[in-house]
Amino acid sequence: MVLMGVILQANGLNKTFRLSQKQQKLQKTKDKFKKAVDDLSFEAHEGEVFGLLGPNGAGKTTTLRMLSTLIKADDGDAIIDGASIRNEPEKVRAKIGFLTSELKLEDFFTPNYLFDFFAKLHGIDPSTAQRRKADLFKKFGIDEFAEVKVTNLSTGMKQKASLVISIVHDPNIIIFDEPTNGLDVLTAKVVTDFLLELKAQGKTVIVSTHIFSLIEKICDRVGIIINGHMIVCDTLAKLTADKTLEDVFFDIYEEKVGRIV
Amino acid sequence: MKSNIVAVMKKEFSRFVGDRRMIVMLLLPAVLIYVVYSFMGVAMQSLTSPDTDHNPVAYTVNIPDTIAMLAQTAGIEIERIGSGEAAGIKDKITGKAADLLMVFPADFDAQVASYDVQTSNAPAPNIEIYYNSTVPNSLSSYNIMISMLDAYESSLANKFDINRGIADSDLVTAEDLSASIISTLMPMLMLMFLYSGCAGLAPESISGEKERGTLATLLVTPLKRSQLAAGKIFSLCILAFISGLITAFSTILSLPNLMGAAKDYIDAGIYGARDYMFLAFVILSTVLLMVALISIISAFSKSVKEANAAVMPLMVIIMLIGVSGMFGSTHTELVYYLIPLYGSVQSMSGVFALDYNGLNIVVSCISNLVFAGIGVFALTKMFNSEKIMFSK
Repeated sequence: MVLMGVILQANGLNKTFRLSQKQQKLQKTKDKFKKAVDDLSFEAHEGEVFGLLGPNGAGKTTTLRMLSTLIKADDGDAIIDGASIRNEPEKVRAKIGFLTSELKLEDFFTPNYLFDFFAKLHGIDPSTAQRRKADLFKKFGIDEFAEVKVTNLSTGMKQKASLVISIVHDPNIIIFDEPTNGLDVLTAKVVTDFLLELKAQGKTVIVSTHIFSLIEKICDRVGIIINGHMIVCDTLAKLTADKTLEDVFFDIYEEKVGRIV
Repeated sequence: MKSNIVAVMKKEFSRFVGDRRMIVMLLLPAVLIYVVYSFMGVAMQSLTSPDTDHNPVAYTVNIPDTIAMLAQTAGIEIERIGSGEAAGIKDKITGKAADLLMVFPADFDAQVASYDVQTSNAPAPNIEIYYNSTVPNSLSSYNIMISMLDAYESSLANKFDINRGIADSDLVTAEDLSASIISTLMPMLMLMFLYSGCAGLAPESISGEKERGTLATLLVTPLKRSQLAAGKIFSLCILAFISGLITAFSTILSLPNLMGAAKDYIDAGIYGARDYMFLAFVILSTVLLMVALISIISAFSKSVKEANAAVMPLMVIIMLIGVSGMFGSTHTELVYYLIPLYGSVQSMSGVFALDYNGLNIVVSCISNLVFAGIGVFALTKMFNSEKIMFSK
């Protein structure tokens, strides 16, 4: 049952990957399978920024990819704004905006062309799309580069174009995997400010990161993931009542995994 | 929603038509074929036609005057030498410095006169002729001498003639001859051109997008996987079809140059609207199937490079199927037309030879389309499979 105000509810998500021999060597393990996400449940409320915090390899990206229906959960389900990621992946994709550095824009096209193309795939009527394009391009300074092929854009401008195109359909739920990774300080600020602006508009934002300051700056609630498990999930205020988020995280990590060398 | 398929198709068209590199890649085969075929035709002709600047010289030992006179009228200069010099001339022929050496028995005329096929126990008088087949003048004078001596031999004991006074005993029509030449060559060439069009596009469009991470961007939109598969395959099919047609057109133009002497018999005007219509259906269904096959292989591959290597076995199969159309007569049994691609070659052979059964061709098109449909379905499944889409 979906609770009032809960816009995303993940129940018992599981994902196991088969490791290739090369991966087994790299990870120094003889196990053929790796459980990336293990019985993960959490919920996100309407209009909040929810942060998934964890070290590399904790399962953050896998969780977000399952939520965005890019990969399928082995077990469990998530209901996003009433649509099941398991049974209604197309509906889910229409409701969310998903951005990760792995999703690239085709080098050959211009931001202008790509915005129109993705607006069409999302079934946005042309006049709305044009209005939205003008607003977003202006806000992110893409307007000057609207007719420049993606291949000739700077890294920051590419990232901005990707961001704008991921929300071409004005989704209510925005999922960002490592939103500021690889960005220079200026572009990173533009992105974090925009996430706060989305929140102010009443949108729900889910981000994954390993950067404490980003969580402290923008998140209302935090879930800490270690080795595919959700260890803690609470409001930022409650988690950081006694100590800083960094201390909370390392205490939990040492308790669950062991001393950090 | 159909509009999503159309949106994907439009994007693919813009991608390829707007890219100068891709356009060149699609048009280049047409230009190359014209240039290469024309050049090959000219080269082959000059290779087999003798040098007209100087007459071939035959060095002869003991040549009878009658034969020497006949040879001279055929344009071969006769140089008489002693039997001791023959070995030196042979070396010269090997070294391409001389054209021909003929060694006759000393009393050739007398031996011939006394020889009787029925009664003689000894072997017939023998003429030795040495030449070098890589020197056009040497080869042509050898051929002239052989046929001249044959004619001379038969004139000595003439029992009957064949086709005396008849200039043209081959009663074939120009149309049939044209159809026969085109139907031998074109199905194989068409299959290869269509394949090269498909293979130039599909790996770039599917493995390329997968490699660069742009396919994943499409996969997080409400676009259905089946719409993506259909949009890609249809647009690639149309582009490969156009590329194949341009190449075929250039081939038809260059065939007369390639065929040299037979060029008067090649005329694409012998085919009517009905023939071209059947041909278009066969080609379209063939391209659709090829694009589906190459797309599936491309989707399995991690990069364009890997896809290009992985389609090699398919290319070999397609070439073999193409070559199969060059030999033997076209099958008329329906069952052969059920085999995808093979049926296409059979259909094309039939249409080009102006000897076909419409039902067979329709069956062959349907067979191609059914298999292409299975291909679209498989590609949809693959776009859905994270193992295939996100394998690293």
